[in-house]
Amino acid sequence: MEILNIKNLSKNYGTVQALKQVSFSVPAGTVFGILGPNGSGKTTLLGIVMDVLKPTSGTYEIFGQSPTADQRKQIGTLLETPNFYHYLNAVENLKISAAIKGRGVDDIDRVLEVVDLAKRKNSKFSTYSLGMKQRLAIGAALLGNPDVLVFDEPTNGLDPVGIAEIRELIKKLSKEGKTIIMASHLLDEVEKVCTHVAILKQGTLITYGDVNEILINEDVVETSAADLEQLYQLLQRMPGKLSINRKDQVVQVNFSSGTADLAAVNRFCFDAGITITHLQLKKKSLETKFLELTH
Amino acid sequence: MQTASYMQKLLQIEWLKLKNHRPFIIIASFFTLGVFTINYVVYILNNTINKVQGAALIKSSNPYDFYYTWQTTSYWTGWLLLLPSLLIIILVTNEFTYRTNRQNIIDGWSRSQFIEVKMMLALIVAVCSTLLVVLSATLFGLLSGSSFSTHGISHVFFFFLKALSYNVIAVFISVWIRLTGFAIGSFFIYIGAENFISILLNNNLSLKLRNDYNIDLGSLGDYLPMNASDGLLTFPDNPLKTIAKSALPTDYTWLVACFAVAYLVLFFWLSKRNYLKKDL
Repeated sequence: MEILNIKNLSKNYGTVQALKQVSFSVPAGTVFGILGPNGSGKTTLLGIVMDVLKPTSGTYEIFGQSPTADQRKQIGTLLETPNFYHYLNAVENLKISAAIKGRGVDDIDRVLEVVDLAKRKNSKFSTYSLGMKQRLAIGAALLGNPDVLVFDEPTNGLDPVGIAEIRELIKKLSKEGKTIIMASHLLDEVEKVCTHVAILKQGTLITYGDVNEILINEDVVETSAADLEQLYQLLQRMPGKLSINRKDQVVQVNFSSGTADLAAVNRFCFDAGITITHLQLKKKSLETKFLELTH
Repeated sequence: MQTASYMQKLLQIEWLKLKNHRPFIIIASFFTLGVFTINYVVYILNNTINKVQGAALIKSSNPYDFYYTWQTTSYWTGWLLLLPSLLIIILVTNEFTYRTNRQNIIDGWSRSQFIEVKMMLALIVAVCSTLLVVLSATLFGLLSGSSFSTHGISHVFFFFLKALSYNVIAVFISVWIRLTGFAIGSFFIYIGAENFISILLNNNLSLKLRNDYNIDLGSLGDYLPMNASDGLLTFPDNPLKTIAKSALPTDYTWLVACFAVAYLVLFFWLSKRNYLKKDL
């Protein structure tokens, strides 16, 4: 079953196209990362899904149906910034969220414990630090133990310990079978917690799918020979390779992380009568991969 | 029954927002105190003036005698209606400033529910203001020594219409402007601009139509959104009103009241349309 199905969603702000014909779907039970640099349209996309922004064109379905307000009650959402009544304390604010959702009033103390705000539950929201505000927003999203959670930059404003705690929380929620949609500009964050990812660049969907297929760590063996075309044809048959491509005066052979063997590559070429003039192992980092995708 | 329960739920949530909101408590207290204070001051002044003029005149000219008390209290309290309107502006624009309106939608309210509850708030504030007028009018009517009578209570309805108009216009401006300072400024500019246009219409077009073309449409300024409800409230035996009546003798009170109601519907529709269509 698909939790969210986005079809050709576009959003213009005047002449700026924030989203361009974006389509993808989020399977149930996944931790789905929406990854992209600042301004790539992640928050705009989630804003449309949560009905706080109106799309210029396109449609979307939640739980396989046209979107309604009642569906949003079944989803715990933190969108962009924590939005609470500054003159009310944590409990009073969560009472409002719970009342709107129609559930979760009995759950307030539990979620405040989960986000480590129990001791400050009677303090006004205006007295909270940025990290505490973010924690409260995550707590509000957890109210009523929803099966689907939407987190937009959930670790914003948190210290390293807080970031680690939230990542662990997301993993724990995922193990409980919940579907989590998480927007982030942090590759590391997505790689660590997500099972699926959609990558956005300037409003355009670059790719989406299983995170292990898209954000895989690879070993890259760079080779060169007098006859580059002959080398390229030969390495097409190289056992264990993931992919191969020609780049300027070299042929790059990609292997899964930790599996590249330079001696084996050299021997394979030598046995076929090709003398390699250049052989080098390069690690393709996730950052490189991300930059390749988004720049 | 289902609609009442639905609205009750929405209003309970609105009450959670309001009950600890200091500006709400302060402005509501000031307004409540103001209603009794302004009428008490007028009541005392009137008694003092009458005593100076002579004891014989007191009974016949006390504006707080039943049935004048409904009109007098409505008229003077009408001057205080800016306070609840300002409160409405603060309450609605704060939702935009702190983006809590977005959170309400994210949590599961529909956009219609959000705007409907704000309009309900405008209505409830108008009803509470009207109840204060009823209470105040009854109190000062009884204090004046006259017998209770509901004759002339239609003026309280006109007060309610005026209170509701002010509040609904406040919601309308808040939804369109969104920023508290600008919204309050726009509200005052709007009041001033409408009064200015009203004077121009009344002094030029209304009289010209009657004198030159023998067409009597009443005071045209009274058909403008705020003046439609403002014009319904007059001080008993107001000499200015008498002059206006002699210039434009036809009484268009109920037509103006209908205009006021039509404007309420229009502003509600425009506010809702804006909120349903725009990004939040």
